Amino acid sequence: MPAMKEYTTLLTKIFDNMPERPHWDWEIKTETSWFGVSIKELYSYKDLLLRLTRKEFLGSYQQTLLGPFWVLLQPLLTTLIYVLVFNTVIGISTGDTPPMLFNLIGITLWNLFSEVFLNTSKTFILNVEVFSKIYFPRMIVALSGLWLQIILFGVQLLFLFSIYLFFLFKGQTNFNISHLWMIIPAIITTAGIGFGAGLIFSILTAKYRDLLALIQLLIRLLMFVCPIFYTMSMVPQKVKWLVNLNPLSVQFELFRYAFLGQGNISAVEIIYSSVFMIALIFFGILLFNKMSDKLMDVI
Amino acid sequence: MSEIVIQAENISKKFQLGTIGTDSLRRELQQWWERSILKKPDPFLTQLPDQEDHIWALQDINFEIKQGETWGIVGRNGAGKSTFLKILSRIIKPTTGTIRGKGRISSLLEVGTGFHPELTGRENIFISGHMLGMNKREILQKFDEIVDFAGIGVFLDTPVKRYSSGMYVRLAFAVAAHLEPDILIVDEVLAVGDAEFQKKCLGSMKDATSKAGRTVIFVSHNLQAVNNLCSNAIWLEKGMIKTTGDARSVVNSYLGGAQKKSWKQEFSRENAPGNEYIKILSVELIPHLQDSLSAIDIRTAITVKFKFYNTSNNTNLSTDLLLFTLSGECIFDIPSKPTVYNEGVIEGECTIPGNFLNDGSYYFSLYFVKDTSQELLSYDECLFFEVADYRENVNWYDKWWGYVRPQFPLTLVHSTEIESYNA
Repeated sequence: MPAMKEYTTLLTKIFDNMPERPHWDWEIKTETSWFGVSIKELYSYKDLLLRLTRKEFLGSYQQTLLGPFWVLLQPLLTTLIYVLVFNTVIGISTGDTPPMLFNLIGITLWNLFSEVFLNTSKTFILNVEVFSKIYFPRMIVALSGLWLQIILFGVQLLFLFSIYLFFLFKGQTNFNISHLWMIIPAIITTAGIGFGAGLIFSILTAKYRDLLALIQLLIRLLMFVCPIFYTMSMVPQKVKWLVNLNPLSVQFELFRYAFLGQGNISAVEIIYSSVFMIALIFFGILLFNKMSDKLMDVI
Repeated sequence: MSEIVIQAENISKKFQLGTIGTDSLRRELQQWWERSILKKPDPFLTQLPDQEDHIWALQDINFEIKQGETWGIVGRNGAGKSTFLKILSRIIKPTTGTIRGKGRISSLLEVGTGFHPELTGRENIFISGHMLGMNKREILQKFDEIVDFAGIGVFLDTPVKRYSSGMYVRLAFAVAAHLEPDILIVDEVLAVGDAEFQKKCLGSMKDATSKAGRTVIFVSHNLQAVNNLCSNAIWLEKGMIKTTGDARSVVNSYLGGAQKKSWKQEFSRENAPGNEYIKILSVELIPHLQDSLSAIDIRTAITVKFKFYNTSNNTNLSTDLLLFTLSGECIFDIPSKPTVYNEGVIEGECTIPGNFLNDGSYYFSLYFVKDTSQELLSYDECLFFEVADYRENVNWYDKWWGYVRPQFPLTLVHSTEIESYNA
């Protein structure tokens, strides 16, 4: 069969002329892709993630008097001051809900947001030394910080539940189990917005240090446009748009609604807030991946 | 032929100079606008070359490294060695080029990266191990070995901030030494720790290549270690590869080339250094080498020649040749015989025999004295040179002790007394 023979010679010819293409495990190029490292690579560093979480937790309570109790003391003291200032002195009414419980609910969720945001935005500033000497996906540090904040939030949430139960037994609040699941989307969206914004700011603050001061200011101002010590229904119509513009607002209403069964939430607000969170996280991850390698030249 | 595990093509790295502030933000926005929106070429890549707002830390680096080879990287400070290692370690990105590789890569650019001073040795072993790419199982498997290697024993559960600096370094290196990557990148870590520990580290690195078939890339100022550990070497100068090849010849040409230019200094009468008594006309260092490209090592004899102008008649003059180590300890002070000279040019010469100085960096100074007591001129630090080590059949990679290394015969013989002892 001459055709067959021709075919084989052709094949050998092709193979002979083909350049040998060695298989490489990794490649270092000039640019990082927007998506950065693969999920598989991130997963291979899970031990590091958990260890860094542990390190941060243990590290921050070494040689302290009260140690981890600060996690509870902080919201407790803040709540007491809020009750004193906003309810006793200024006289904001919390309806038939005890002011203590009302404020603690808001403060617990606010702490989650502000801690996640602030900690994530310091990812580069606090880890320059490590990042410039050793390679691992930088996202691991941000994720381990997020994980630590979620654990601490869990402790504060338990504390909130015990205060809630206390007032429930005293008969000063009512309990509706069918609403309680709503805390889950509220927690996820709030933490998500904090994390996404934190990623973006971690890049910006690493390059322009003064932005860290801006973040502190931003957090303080943002707190006043979040319904923490007031409810949406108290906001005058004239400035309602400002509070509504804040994607966090509806999450506070939702969180409070889950506990107290009071508040107005519309589907539009929830969708707005969720879309905002997804977009922010998406953009944050892309920016973080793309810029983190470039940053190493200048920090 | 073993396979290629790292292949670098056309690697360059550009660093932006200047500070970062509102200016750099404006520049970045402009760059982004022109590149991404207007689709123009990057305005900062095509700008005029005389605008010196950046430097090239590395330029056109190409190399291939095969499995099981040990590469040393030598070069002066600022030659781009650290940048090179950082690119290989994936810490920074190259401006141009690609590096491809096979196998797991771990880099050790600093000892104790990621250590938390407040936490115990035990915790830090895990933190450091995970950062270097070990998983929990691997660390647990090696845990006892690591503790043993570091020799920290009872301090395992003490915060590392209370460790002595030696213990700290030992622990940090111990973790790294138990990594099992296919490719290991090491930067200057051996500059720390005491002599005994350095020996241990060098030994463990040698094991890594010879027994485990690992590939090692190693930057060090300890040329002796490069000579002994590495099969190949790269000499970087001003961001470019000057020479590459067999470690010994690269190290030798590095040592030779790095110093040669300062070995001969000549001055015209008008701008000769000195004062109203003495003017230095020339100083020269001539090593007695068969091959002008090789470096001075401990076997090499060195001749120092100098010429000066004596300005006054009838001076009882003598000259001292002093040798110092780079850290300033004086090794010797050789005076000439005081003699009465008239005005004119005077030449001097002194030869230091081979097998006298130990390896290290040294410099000569000249000292001119009148009437054996009055200082006329002290011409300091005029000739710098480096003496490389040379050893035959010695399994000892550390710095040889002492400033001098003469070969006075030391003999051992069987004594007859021992036998009578046993009897």
